Amino acid sequence: MELLLSAASDSFAPATLLAVLVGSLLGVIFGAIPGLTFTVAMALVVPVSFSLETAPAIGLLLGTYIGGMTGGSVSAILLGIPGTPSAAATVLDGYALTRRGKASLALGTAVVASAFGGFVSLAIMVFSVDFVASVALHFGPAETFALVLFGLSTICGLAGGSLVKGLIAGVLGLMIMTIGVDEMEGVRRLTFGTVTLQQGINLLVAMIALFAVPHVIDAFVQHYRNERVDKPLGDVRAELPRFRELLSHGWLMLRCSLIGTGVGAIPGTGGPIAAFLAYAHARKSSKSPEKFGRGSMEGVVAPEAANNAVTGGAMIPLLSLGIPGDPATAILLSALLIHGLTPGPMLFIQQPGEIYQIYIAIIIAYAFVLSIQLLGIRFFVQLLRVPAHLLAVGIIIMCGFGAFSIRNSVFDVYTVAILGVLAYGLIRAGIPLTPVILGIVLGPALEREFRTAMILSRGEYDVFVASVPAATFIGLAALVFGLQIFRSLRQTIKSARAGRQPEIPRHAAPDSNPKP
Amino acid sequence: MTDGADHSAAPSRRPASPGLRDIVLGAILLLLGLAWTITVDRVVPAGRGFGIGPRAFPFWLGVGLCVLSSLLILTGALARWRGQAGPAEPVVEQEDGVTPVGGWMLVRVLVLVAGTIAAYGFLMPRLGFLLATGLVVGATLVLALGVRRPLLVLGMTIGLPLGSWLAFGQLLGAYMPRGSWISFF
Repeated sequence: MELLLSAASDSFAPATLLAVLVGSLLGVIFGAIPGLTFTVAMALVVPVSFSLETAPAIGLLLGTYIGGMTGGSVSAILLGIPGTPSAAATVLDGYALTRRGKASLALGTAVVASAFGGFVSLAIMVFSVDFVASVALHFGPAETFALVLFGLSTICGLAGGSLVKGLIAGVLGLMIMTIGVDEMEGVRRLTFGTVTLQQGINLLVAMIALFAVPHVIDAFVQHYRNERVDKPLGDVRAELPRFRELLSHGWLMLRCSLIGTGVGAIPGTGGPIAAFLAYAHARKSSKSPEKFGRGSMEGVVAPEAANNAVTGGAMIPLLSLGIPGDPATAILLSALLIHGLTPGPMLFIQQPGEIYQIYIAIIIAYAFVLSIQLLGIRFFVQLLRVPAHLLAVGIIIMCGFGAFSIRNSVFDVYTVAILGVLAYGLIRAGIPLTPVILGIVLGPALEREFRTAMILSRGEYDVFVASVPAATFIGLAALVFGLQIFRSLRQTIKSARAGRQPEIPRHAAPDSNPKP
Repeated sequence: MTDGADHSAAPSRRPASPGLRDIVLGAILLLLGLAWTITVDRVVPAGRGFGIGPRAFPFWLGVGLCVLSSLLILTGALARWRGQAGPAEPVVEQEDGVTPVGGWMLVRVLVLVAGTIAAYGFLMPRLGFLLATGLVVGATLVLALGVRRPLLVLGMTIGLPLGSWLAFGQLLGAYMPRGSWISFF
């Protein structure tokens, strides 16, 4: 109780509240503008959080995460273009409602459904995360290695259209993280005698390069191609739905929140899958399914409750096991590590106060996001009119400043420039970037735990199947890889028979690349 | 972001097919994998740790990249052999959200963006945050993007550095670089 009160006192300090507010605002803005996903915002905000105390830093990041997830519905409803991939399902009925002149009500309902989904998932997270962590507390290096390997197997789900390309991306990410001084034996690896490379490629530098720079390049390309996207935005505001109407959607919101939390808790899935599943569920269970796609409010409520519930779900493996399930939680993980918080079972023993701070920050962030969207919707409408190339100039500044402030190193800014161009090349070559990030984030833990386990077992490989948890996670990882290989082969054979290229539904690979 | 793109107007200098593209990509990655593996084998010591020293992971990752890129070449070759690639098409495929473009325009943009970020990094510790940011914003708007609206250029050149300085430096307390040549704060 004392810890909770202390955490609440830190979380409600003016500096923390301000940080959550700024984060929420940035998140909503980045989420609302098509192409500028909140992962870009998070990658750019992390360096800024360095100079902050732990509580405001956590608040800034969580505000950005939650604001971004919610903000995606603004352009989805007003423009018919999802601000984030998670809002893609909201377009189906949200934009139809706009065309029927119900944009304000759709926006208001989306905001309420989002907050509802977020709170439900938070409640589930609070009750489940402690249990998962207490189980994971007994893990040794072999079990942790197996767990990280299972986390890496989610690359299959994030691979997009080609499993081989997804695996290549994962290997590239793992390779990047082996550069620098080996933390176990102090041996220099591929530094070529340079001092700057001894610390390796900084995780955040890589994230800024991979997420933000391709967006800038794409905005410039559009500008040179003289592309203009019509933005027919009228005078809109967020109109709260009537209580009776909300109540009629209550049961649906709860069901979709549970779907979102469940999907979010599975690494490698994420918002888009949750939103589409919830949309399909809402349509199936609706009394008037024929209205879906033509402007059904249920078609807005369901995906918005689900995609926001993903935030709480995704925090379960992140906090209890240290396994990020998507790019946003990967960035969150790296930021927490920088602030001295190592997500995993030990966090609950060593820093329980910070865990409470995280819970409280999420509640505050949702309260802010709700207010920001209800009160400031006209401001966001104006923001949607700003041309992409002008926003890109601002992103360049944030890329450069963010990279520099990590270690006050010009080398890091140069690295962002080079890696960013290479990342754009990878996107054009059809190689998804999310597995690269997953490799970068999980690579060091994978290597460290494997080598530690090998040393402890004196070189016996059977240590990885000696315990039930280790064998289970390795078995699960093998199952995920095996199933994906089987699926890929089946599709190749099918398409060969049909005489066409294999096709993978777009939503099957959510957020496989940041949408520049 | 790419909605409304006029795909027909995309430059079509280099005929390509998905199969051929995978072969070329696979070949580049195979070369990278080979170079990486050989370099690791020569440069990184094996170390201790029951055969799993500092060399093992990077070495086997290099081998993994070679195997996967060979698979990519193989699948690309199979696609071409089956004739699924179809007739040569302009490079306009949608790549997970990027705007289709090709040729010199892309090279120009890549050099421009990388150059701008690098120049900003070079100038920041020398001119300080405010001046470096203003300079880079103004130059990018006028020289790179061809913006000719004085009020907009002036507003962004002054507003962006000042706004960022206020928000990040003053409000959130982030460290703002000071210039070694000249400094305003």
